[in-house]
Amino acid sequence: MIPEGLRYHTEHEWIRQENQTAVLGITHFAQDALGDVVYLELPKVGVEVRSGQEIGEVESTKTTSPVYTPVSGKIMAVNEELKEKPELVNQDPYGRGWIVKIQMSDPSEAKHLMDARQYGAYLKEKAD
Amino acid sequence: MGPSPRIAVIGAGPGGYVAAIRAAQLGARVSLVEEQEVGGTCLNKGCIPSKALIFNAEVVELLKRAEEFGVRVISEPTYDVTRMLERKQRIVQTQVRGIHALLKSWGVALIKGRGRLIGPRAVEVADAGGTVQRVETDRVILATGSKPIKPPIFPFDGDRVITSEEALEPRVLPKSLLIVGAGVEGCEFGFLYQALGVSVTMVEMKNRPLATEDEEISSLVQREMNKRGIKLHLAVRVEKAAIESTQVVVTLSDGQTIAVDRILVSIGRRMNTEGLGLEEAGVVLGKRGEILVDDRMETRAPGVYAIGDAVGRIMLAHVASAEGKIAAANAVAGDRGHSMNYAIVPAGIFTLPEIGTVGLKEWEAVEQGLKIRIGRYPFRALGRAHTMDEIVGMVKVITEQESDRILGVHILGPHASDMIHEAAIAMRLGAKVSDIAEMIHAHPTLPEAMMEAAEDVHGSAIHLTRRKGPPPPAGRAGDGRQGP
Repeated sequence: MIPEGLRYHTEHEWIRQENQTAVLGITHFAQDALGDVVYLELPKVGVEVRSGQEIGEVESTKTTSPVYTPVSGKIMAVNEELKEKPELVNQDPYGRGWIVKIQMSDPSEAKHLMDARQYGAYLKEKAD
Repeated sequence: MGPSPRIAVIGAGPGGYVAAIRAAQLGARVSLVEEQEVGGTCLNKGCIPSKALIFNAEVVELLKRAEEFGVRVISEPTYDVTRMLERKQRIVQTQVRGIHALLKSWGVALIKGRGRLIGPRAVEVADAGGTVQRVETDRVILATGSKPIKPPIFPFDGDRVITSEEALEPRVLPKSLLIVGAGVEGCEFGFLYQALGVSVTMVEMKNRPLATEDEEISSLVQREMNKRGIKLHLAVRVEKAAIESTQVVVTLSDGQTIAVDRILVSIGRRMNTEGLGLEEAGVVLGKRGEILVDDRMETRAPGVYAIGDAVGRIMLAHVASAEGKIAAANAVAGDRGHSMNYAIVPAGIFTLPEIGTVGLKEWEAVEQGLKIRIGRYPFRALGRAHTMDEIVGMVKVITEQESDRILGVHILGPHASDMIHEAAIAMRLGAKVSDIAEMIHAHPTLPEAMMEAAEDVHGSAIHLTRRKGPPPPAGRAGDGRQGP
C-alpha cells in the first residue's frame, strides 16, 4: 500500500527524488482522509519555497487542507492536469496525481524524511 | 408652516422614491422630480438588472452540472442573450410599474424632468421638450445619485470601451473582456461574463480583489476566480488603453499589454451634484463633490436635505433608502431629530457564489486595536450545502474577546446575502455570540452554518473536528479541520 522508494513527511506528503528534483504529492492515507478532491490551489512555477512551508491547498468535498513541502527549493512544474482532473489525486495519488516538482536546493533535507516502513509505523501509531 | 408641509424630492431612485413615500405617509404634500425612470440606477442600470442576469448564469451552471445530480440534459445548454435581456427588461418594467402604483396610492406627484434648486424653497423642472415649471416648496430632499467615473485615459465609445451601464446590455457578447477594477461591481461582472462564456481578465490596483472586504473573503473570491479561469492582475494600473481596429489594447503599469474585444471600466462612481443650483442655494459640497450633510441628513442650507449616493457615504441602494426615511421624517417634522446610524449595514455581493457581510471586517477590527476571536464554519461541512451541491465558502464570525459581542459576520457561499440578516439583527440587538450559538437552528438549513461558526468562536462547534492547540490565528481561510 505504501510504495517503497519514496520519502514521507509527517503531514502526509510524499516525495520522489530524481537527482536534484523532488516530485511531490499527497499520500493514499491523505487522499482517503480528504475524500473526493475537487480543486487544488497550486503555487506558481518559479517560486522559491522552504521546507515546512505551505505551498498550496487541496479542496475536497469534506474539507480544505494545506499542502506542505518537506524540502526547500524552487517550484519547477505544477501538475496542469489536476486543473481539469483533480480526482487524479484520489485515483492515483503516487502517479498521475503528483502535485509539484521542486528543484531542491538542499537534497540532504530528504534524508530526514520517513521511508515506507517508518511511515507505515507512523500511520499505525496515529491510528492507535 | 401649516400642518401639511410641501416637500420636493429631486431624484426617484431607491433613496428619493422611498423618501417621497415616507414623507407622504407622514402627511406631507410631495412632489417627486425625475429626469429618467423611477427606480434610479439601482432598478434600471444596477442591482436588479445585474441580478437578473446573474440568475441566468446560475441556471445554466446548474444545467451544466445536471449529470452530477442524475439529471439527463439532452443537449448542451446555451444562452439566448436576446431572451435573457428581454427577461431582465420585463423584471425592471414590473418593478417600475410597481413604484408608479405606490407613488400614486400615496398621492405623490411625479414630475418628469430635470430638477434644480432655485434657492432653498423652490425647484425648477425642465422637461425634455424644454418646458420649464417652478415648484414652490417648504423643504427639499436631494437624491440625485451618482454615475460611473470615466477617466480620460479610456476612450469610451459605448461599444468596446464601456461602463457598467452598457455592460448590462450586451447585445453581442465579446469573446474577451478586460475589467478595470476588482471592486464589488467589477467582480460581479467578472463572474457574470465568465459564466456567459466570455474570457475575462481583471486588473486591480490593490493587492487583492474586493480590497475593502474581509481579507479571507477576498482570498476565497480569488480562489473561485482561479477555479473558473478568470485571470486576475493585482497591484497594477492601466497606463494606456487604445482602440486598435477590432480590439482594445491595454498597457499595464508592469509593462504587459493585453488585447481584448471589450473593456469595462469599473473604478467607482461620481456624485451627481453639478448644475443643480446647489451652491447658490447654500448647499455645501465636499472635496469629492459629495453633498455635506449632518446625521439628520440636512445640508448646510436649512430645510434642504440630501441622501443616497449624492452624499457619498455608503453607496448602497438600501443605505439610500434608510437615509431617505430619516430625511423624510426630519423634513416633515421640522426640527425633531431622527439620526442616521451606519453601524449595522448588511450588504450582498453577487459573485458566484455570493457574499453577505455586516459589521467589522477582521482588518478593521485589528486596525481599531480590538481584541477579537474568530469562529469559522465551512459550507463543505454542512449537510444542506451538500444537498444543493454548493459547498464552497464559509461563515466567519468576529467577536470582541472581552464582551463576546458580535463585531462582524462575513459569509461567502450559497444564499449568503440572505443569511447575513440573522447576523445583522443579532448585532442590532447587541447579541452575544452565545445567543446565536444557543439558538435552535432548523435542520437541515444553511443558517446552521451560522450557528456552528458562532460555536466555533469558543472552539465548540459540534460538526468540526477538535482544534489542535489554541484557536487558529487570524487571516487564514479554513484551518484544515474537517466536517462530518
